[in-house]
Amino acid sequence: MALNLKRKRDGDVTPRKTRKLSEDDLDAVSDVEEDESEVDAGEDDEWGGIEMAQNMTAPVAESTGPGTKPKLPPSGEELRVIKDASSLFKSSTFKLQVDALLPTVRPKAARIPPLDRFLQTLHGVLTNLPSVAPQHPLEAARKLIKKGVSVPFCLPQPLEDTNWKVAFEKPSDITMVGSWPNKISVKAKDGCKFGIDLAVEMPSDLFQEKDYLNGRFFHKRAFYLATLAEAIQNSKSLNVELTYQSASNDPRLTKLVLEPRNDETHDDFTKLNARVCIVPVLPANSRIPLQRLSPSHSNIRISADGDFASIPTPLYNSALLMALIPRAHLLSAFTLNEHTPSFGDALTLLRVWANQRGYGEGSRLCVRGFDSLGSFWTVLLGLLVFGEESVNKAKRKPLGRGLSSYQLFRAALDFLSRHDFEKTAAFHKANQGHRFPPEEYEAHHEAVLVDSSSTLNVLAGVPIGSLQLLRTDARKTLEELNATSVANDLFSNVFLQDKRDLLTRFDTVIRVDISSAQPRSSSLHSTLDTGSPANALISSITALLREGLGNRVNALAILHSSPSTRPLSQALPTSPNVLYIGLIHDPQNALRLVDHGPAAEESDPSIAEHFREFWGDKAELRRFKDGRIIESVVWDIKSADERSRVPAMIVRHVLQRHFNLDATAVQSWQSGFDQVTKLPEAVSRVYMGSGVAVGFKGAMVAFDSLVKALKALNEQLPLSLAVVSPISEQLRYASVFSPVPLSESLAQSLPQNARYLPSMEMILQFEKSAKWPDELRAIQKIKLAFFERIAMALMSSVKGLKARVVVGDGVTTSKIQDVSRLDIVTPEGWAFSARIWHDREATLLDRLITGKGALPHINFPSQKKKGKANQEAVDAKEVYLRRFIHAPRHHRAITALNHRFSAYSPTVRLVKRWLASHWVLHGHISEEVVEILCASAFVGDGSDLHLEPDSGFIERSGVPGSKERGFASVVQFLKDWKWEEGLFVPLYGPESAAGDPLPASNNSRSGVWKISTEVDREGNVWTVHGPDAMVANRVRALAKATWDYLQNMEEGELDVKAIFIHPTDDYDFVVRLDPSALPRYAQNIDSSLAIGGRYMNPREDPDESLRPEFDPARSLYDDLQRIYTNTFKIFCDPFGGDRFGVVWDPSLRQPRPFRVLGGFSSTPVKKQKETEKDKGLVVLNEAGILCEIERLGAGLVRELTVQV
Amino acid sequence: MSLPSSVAGFTVLPISYPGSSNTSTHYIYARAHTGSKKANTSKTTLPDSRTLFLVNVPPDATDRELVLLFKSSGTVERVVFDLDADGKEGVGGQDDEEEDDEGSELSDDADANTANAEEERDADMQQQPRKRRKLDKKPKPPQVTPLPTKPLRALRPTGRTAHLVFLDASSLERALAPQKKNRVWPSSSSTSTSTSESVEKELSGLARYTALYDSLRPPLDSVRAHADSAMEVFEYELAQTRREAGRYKKGEAIVDEDGFTLVTRGGVYGQTVGGGVGVASKVFQAEMAEGGKGKNKKGRRGREGKEKEGFYAFQKAERQRNDLLELKKNWEADKAKIEKLKASRKFKPY
Repeated sequence: MALNLKRKRDGDVTPRKTRKLSEDDLDAVSDVEEDESEVDAGEDDEWGGIEMAQNMTAPVAESTGPGTKPKLPPSGEELRVIKDASSLFKSSTFKLQVDALLPTVRPKAARIPPLDRFLQTLHGVLTNLPSVAPQHPLEAARKLIKKGVSVPFCLPQPLEDTNWKVAFEKPSDITMVGSWPNKISVKAKDGCKFGIDLAVEMPSDLFQEKDYLNGRFFHKRAFYLATLAEAIQNSKSLNVELTYQSASNDPRLTKLVLEPRNDETHDDFTKLNARVCIVPVLPANSRIPLQRLSPSHSNIRISADGDFASIPTPLYNSALLMALIPRAHLLSAFTLNEHTPSFGDALTLLRVWANQRGYGEGSRLCVRGFDSLGSFWTVLLGLLVFGEESVNKAKRKPLGRGLSSYQLFRAALDFLSRHDFEKTAAFHKANQGHRFPPEEYEAHHEAVLVDSSSTLNVLAGVPIGSLQLLRTDARKTLEELNATSVANDLFSNVFLQDKRDLLTRFDTVIRVDISSAQPRSSSLHSTLDTGSPANALISSITALLREGLGNRVNALAILHSSPSTRPLSQALPTSPNVLYIGLIHDPQNALRLVDHGPAAEESDPSIAEHFREFWGDKAELRRFKDGRIIESVVWDIKSADERSRVPAMIVRHVLQRHFNLDATAVQSWQSGFDQVTKLPEAVSRVYMGSGVAVGFKGAMVAFDSLVKALKALNEQLPLSLAVVSPISEQLRYASVFSPVPLSESLAQSLPQNARYLPSMEMILQFEKSAKWPDELRAIQKIKLAFFERIAMALMSSVKGLKARVVVGDGVTTSKIQDVSRLDIVTPEGWAFSARIWHDREATLLDRLITGKGALPHINFPSQKKKGKANQEAVDAKEVYLRRFIHAPRHHRAITALNHRFSAYSPTVRLVKRWLASHWVLHGHISEEVVEILCASAFVGDGSDLHLEPDSGFIERSGVPGSKERGFASVVQFLKDWKWEEGLFVPLYGPESAAGDPLPASNNSRSGVWKISTEVDREGNVWTVHGPDAMVANRVRALAKATWDYLQNMEEGELDVKAIFIHPTDDYDFVVRLDPSALPRYAQNIDSSLAIGGRYMNPREDPDESLRPEFDPARSLYDDLQRIYTNTFKIFCDPFGGDRFGVVWDPSLRQPRPFRVLGGFSSTPVKKQKETEKDKGLVVLNEAGILCEIERLGAGLVRELTVQV
Repeated sequence: MSLPSSVAGFTVLPISYPGSSNTSTHYIYARAHTGSKKANTSKTTLPDSRTLFLVNVPPDATDRELVLLFKSSGTVERVVFDLDADGKEGVGGQDDEEEDDEGSELSDDADANTANAEEERDADMQQQPRKRRKLDKKPKPPQVTPLPTKPLRALRPTGRTAHLVFLDASSLERALAPQKKNRVWPSSSSTSTSTSESVEKELSGLARYTALYDSLRPPLDSVRAHADSAMEVFEYELAQTRREAGRYKKGEAIVDEDGFTLVTRGGVYGQTVGGGVGVASKVFQAEMAEGGKGKNKKGRRGREGKEKEGFYAFQKAERQRNDLLELKKNWEADKAKIEKLKASRKFKPY
C-alpha cells in the first residue's frame, strides 16, 4: 500500500511541475507575440499549443533525473509517452530522433519579431499606395521601365493595337498565405530562405469578365506587380532588395521577392533567414467566371486560323486558378492542422524527406516540376486524412486523425509508392463534390491531384517522370523502414543524408545542353499553354523520350537547377540551358536490342507512318523467325559491355532526330567507364583477328570441356573424380578483364608485355576412400602422385594440352599445408590450375591444433599450443578452410548473383579496377571481399534473394541497374562506412541462413574490416590479412575523394579516367619498374602508354616459353611485403602497375634502443657529443633498405624515387 | 665517423655492397654466441667458443655469401639462420623432439625453418648422425628422392639473425676485431667471385623469379619419383609405429627417460597399461573437462525451476514493476544516446 501511495503522489507531483514550467513557457511565448501584427494574430493560440505539447515531454523526463530516487517506477504520464513512442513510432529511439530533428528545420521563434514589425510597415506602405489611371499596357510598361522596373508580360505579349487598359488601385486586402501563418514552414535545402507569402488582393474593379482570354489577366497582374515593385523600391521606410521570381520559370507565375538588407534596424529580419513574397491574387468575388477555367476550356484564341478555339489550354487555366486559390489553401491547411494534431510534424518530416531528394528548391539539381510545389505536400496529406472524393465509387478510405506524425509520414510514402499517377487521378475530398468533371482532368493533364477546393490540379505541369521518380524514392525509403535487419543509421538515411546525387539514383545519366535545340515540329499552341518556349521544349523532350524508351525505364526524370530570382529590370525568367536526364532501368526490358513497331499488315497506315516518322532511318521492316513482318528498330552493339548503353543510345537518337542535338550537346559518361575494364585497342585487335572464343563465355566453355576430359579419365585414376568446383573470378564474371586465352601462336603476335595468362583455379574432389594415408605430410605427397597421374593421362587423351605439376609456391615451407597444384594449359590457350581437396585434412589439422592426438583423453601441457608446429597447423587450417570450404561456396553464391542482377558483374569489375588502380586490391584487400561488398549494394537485406526472378514479385527499388550506379553506390558506401561496426551481407539467401555457419579460422587477424555472411559469422575469412586500420582509412579517404569528384558531373566536367589515376605524392618513396619486364603491363590503366611503339620492341633475350600466371612484379611485391612487414607498407596496382608506393612505419624513424629481434634493418645512431654516454640507440637504415630493394628486384626495378 | 663501434654489447660491422649505384651501408651486429641455459640441445650444436651470433642479416643473404664474408677471419663450418627467432617461439618444439623420438617426423620440423631445398639438406646433415645411430640396429629406411633443385636465394624477413660456427675458436676474435674499412659483401650471383666458379650462381631479381617459376614445375618423372619414394618412407615409418603400438597394446608399461611410467588407458580391468594404477573412465574425463560441478548445478536449477512464478500476488506486482523499470531504463538510455548525438549536431539535416 505504501508503495502505491507513494507512486500516486509522485504521479501528482510531476504534472504539477510540468504545468508550471509550460505555463512559464507559454507566458514567454505570448509576451513575444503580443506585439505581432494583426495579420496573423488569429493563429497564435495554435502555436502555443504545439510548443506546449513539446514541452510536456521534456520536463517529465527531467523530473526523473538524478535528484529523485532511481528505483522509482515511471509515472503514468511518463508511461504514456514511452508507450506512445514505441507503439506509434518505429522505435523509441526513432521517436526521440524525430523530436530532435523537428526544431532544427523550423524558424526560430526568437527571431520572428523583426519580421512582424517589417510586415506592419509593409502593410502600411501597401495600403497607402496611390492609384494609377488606366492606360495602354505598352505605354504603362514604357513608363515603368524608365524607373528601372520592367513589366513581366507573358506570352502572348500585348500589342500596340490592344484595346484594353491596365490600371492600379491600392490592394483591397492583404493576407498571409502559404505555410508561414499556419506555422508549418520547413527550411529548404542549401540555406534557401523561408518564404512568407503575402497574397495582395487586386481590387475586382480592375478586371473584366473577358480577362481570362489570351493572357489578359496575366498582363494586368504583371502590371500590378510591377507597380507594387516600383512603389516598394521607392518607399523610404522599407529597406529591402527587390527581385522577381517565377515558379517553374513560367512568367505567368511571377512573384515579387523582398529580402531585407542587413542594416541592424528594428525591422531587419535577416537573421530569420526569410524573405517575403508578394503574390497578387484575385478576390473571391472576381468577375472572371470559374467555369471558364476547367481543364478542357480553351482560353487562347489568337491565331490566324480559328483552330485554336478548340484546343484546350489546361496549364494556362491552372496558372489562372493559382490567383484564386491561395486563401482556400490556407484555410484547408488550417482545418487540417486543427483536425489532426500531428499534421504539422508529419508535413515537416515529409518535406525534409523530399528536400533531401531534390523535390524542392536548392542550389543543386531539382526534380522538374517540384521547385515550387509546396502546396502539393499539404494537399497530399489532406487527401490521406480526409479521404478521396469518389470517382466511380473507387474511394480511398480516410485515415484516422489520431495517427502519429511518423505514421502519417509512412502513410504518405505508402500512397506515393502505390499510387500510379499515370493511370489514376486523385481528388481531395471536397465539400461540394466535384466542381469540374473529373474526366476532364484525366484527359488534359499528365498527373492529377486535385485540391480541396476541387478546382486546381496541384500537379499541373509536373511531368509524369518526376512522379515516377518520387514513387521509386518512396518505395526505396519504405523498404529501408521495413527492412528486418536494423541498420543503425536508418534515421539518418531517411532524413539526414543528402540523396540528390545523380549517380547513385539513376542507372543512366545524360546531360543535355538544349540551348542549340531545334525542335523538328514546334507548336505555337504548346508554347502559349506552357508559358514559355523553354517549357514547351522541355515538355516535348519528355514526351518524346517517354515514347522512345517505353517500358525500358521505370522512371525518366528531368532535373535542372531550380528557378532563380532575377532583377526587376529583367521581365522574363531565364530558363535553364542544361538538363539532366536520369533513367532508372527496368531490368527486364532496359537492355532489349529490338523495338517492335506495328506489323506490316496493319490496316491503318498512319500508325506505321508515325513509327517511321518517330525513328527516322532507324526504322526498318523486318521479318522475324516466327514469320511476322514487323516495323522495328534494331540497336546494334559491338560488345557485351555496350549493351548497357542501349537506353542512352535511344535518348541520343531521339534528341538527334527530333531536336537536332548532336553528340557535343548530349553527354553521357558510360563509354568512359567501359574503357577502364578493357584491354588496350592494340591487344584486343589481335584477338579479334585471331577469331578465338574469348570472354567469360569462352572461359566457361573451356572449363566445361576440361571437366569433361577430366571425368573421362576415371579409368586411369585410382579414385574416380567426384566434383570439380571452379573458384576463379574469371569463371564467375568477376575479373576486371574479360578472360582471354593465350596460345603459342597468339603469343607470337603480341608484345612481350601483353603476354600475361591468368590461370583459373579449380578444386578437384575425389570419391571417398579409406586408402588415403592418415597423416598430413603423406597426404600432400599423395596429392603430388595424383597430379602426376592426371597430368600424364590428360596429356595423352587431349592433344595439344600441357600439364605440369607445381610443387609449391616458393614461399611456404610448411609440409602439412596444401601447396601443390596442377597447371593445365588447354590447346586453345586457356590456363587452369587444379588443387585436390581431401576432407580428412581438416580433422588431422584440428588434432594438431587442439593438441589432442589419436588419444584424445591425454592432456598435453598447454605450453605446447604456442609451439611452432601448432602455429604451422593453424596457418594450414586457415588456408584449408578458405581454399576448400569457403571459396567454392562463395563462387557459387556470386555466380547466382550474376544471373540475378545483370549489373552486378560489371559493377564488381569496375570497383575492382578502381581499388586496383589505387593500389590496394590484392595486396591489402582480397578480391572476394570486394565481391561481397558489391553484393551488399544489390541484395539489400536479402529478403527477396530466394525468389525466382520471373515469379512476378516487385524488384527491390534500390538495386542498381547499371554499373555506373553500382560503382557510385559502392563508393558512397565506402565513404560513409564505419568499418569498426562491421557489415553483414546476406549473400547466400534465406535458406542457408538457418544452416550451420561454416567453421571459421581462429587465427589472429591483421585486417580490420568485418564483413560477415551467413556462412561466415565472424566475418574474417576474406579479411584476415587486410586491410589494416591504416589501409582501411586510406580506402575511406579515397572513396571520399572519388565521391567528391563524381559530383562534378553536375557541372558536366567529369573525366572518368581521372577517377582511376592514383596520386603518388604521399608515399615516402616510389619504386619504378621496367615496363618491358612486366607481362601484365598491357593491363595498366594508362594503356595507351603500354602499347606505345617504345615497348613493342622485343627484349634482348626473348624467352618464348609461355608461363601462365607468371608475374614477377607481383612476386616481388609479395616478397617485399613479406620481408618488410614491420618496416613499411607497400602498395601497387596488380594490373600491370609499374610503380610500388611505400610508406615507412613512422615509429621506426625515431631512434630506439637496440634489440636483437628488432625486426627491421637498422643503423646505429651517431653520438651527438663524444662525451655522451652510449645509449645503444639504433634507427631505421633507410638508404640500406632502398639498396636492398634494388638488389632484390634486379632486372625489374628501374629506379627508386625518394619523396620528401 | 663517429658511429659507435658497438651497440649494447654487439660489435657493429658495416657492410657495403659493390656494384650498386647506391652507396649505402648495411649494418650487421655481431657477438660471440653464448648458449642459453634452457635450450641444452642448441648448446651441443652451437659450441660457444667458436660460434658468432649475427643480428640484422640482409634478407637476401645466403649462407655461401656469409661464409665468403668471413673468409678472411677463418673457415666457417656452417651457418644457421634464424635459430633464435624460432627458438623463442618454439620452446615446446624441443619437447616434441624428445617425445617423438620414436619415429614421428615432428623432430625434423623444429629445424626445418629453412626456406629452400638446399638448406633442408643442410638441416638434415645436423640430424643425420643422431638418427643414424639410433636406427642402426634396424633395417636401413628408404630415402626420399629429392626433387631437382636449383640454388635459389631464400628471402627471409628483414632484421633476422644467424649463427656462424667457425672451424677454429681463434677466428671468432678476428671476426669481431674492428676493421678500418667497411667489409665488402661478396656476391655469389656475380660471376667474378673466384672461389665459386664451379658452383652455379645464386640468382636474384627477375632472373631468380624466372628460375623459381621453372623450378617449381619440375619434370613429371621426377615428381613421380619423389612422390613414390616419399610414400615408401611413409609406409616404412607407419610400419615402425605400428610395431611400437603393438608392443604398447601387449601391456608393456611405457617408461620415459626420467623413469616415470605413463599412465594411460588400454590395460585390463580399467588399469593402466602394464597394470598397477587405475585409470579414470572416459565418461568421467569428459565430464571433468566440461567444467567440474556441472552435474550438481543442473540438479539445483531443476529444483528451482519447479518453483511457481506468478503464484503470489507480490511476485506479479514485482514483475510488473520491474518491467516498467526496465522500460524506463531503456527509454532513458535512448534519450541519453540522442542527447549525445544532438550535442554533435547530428540532427541538422542541412
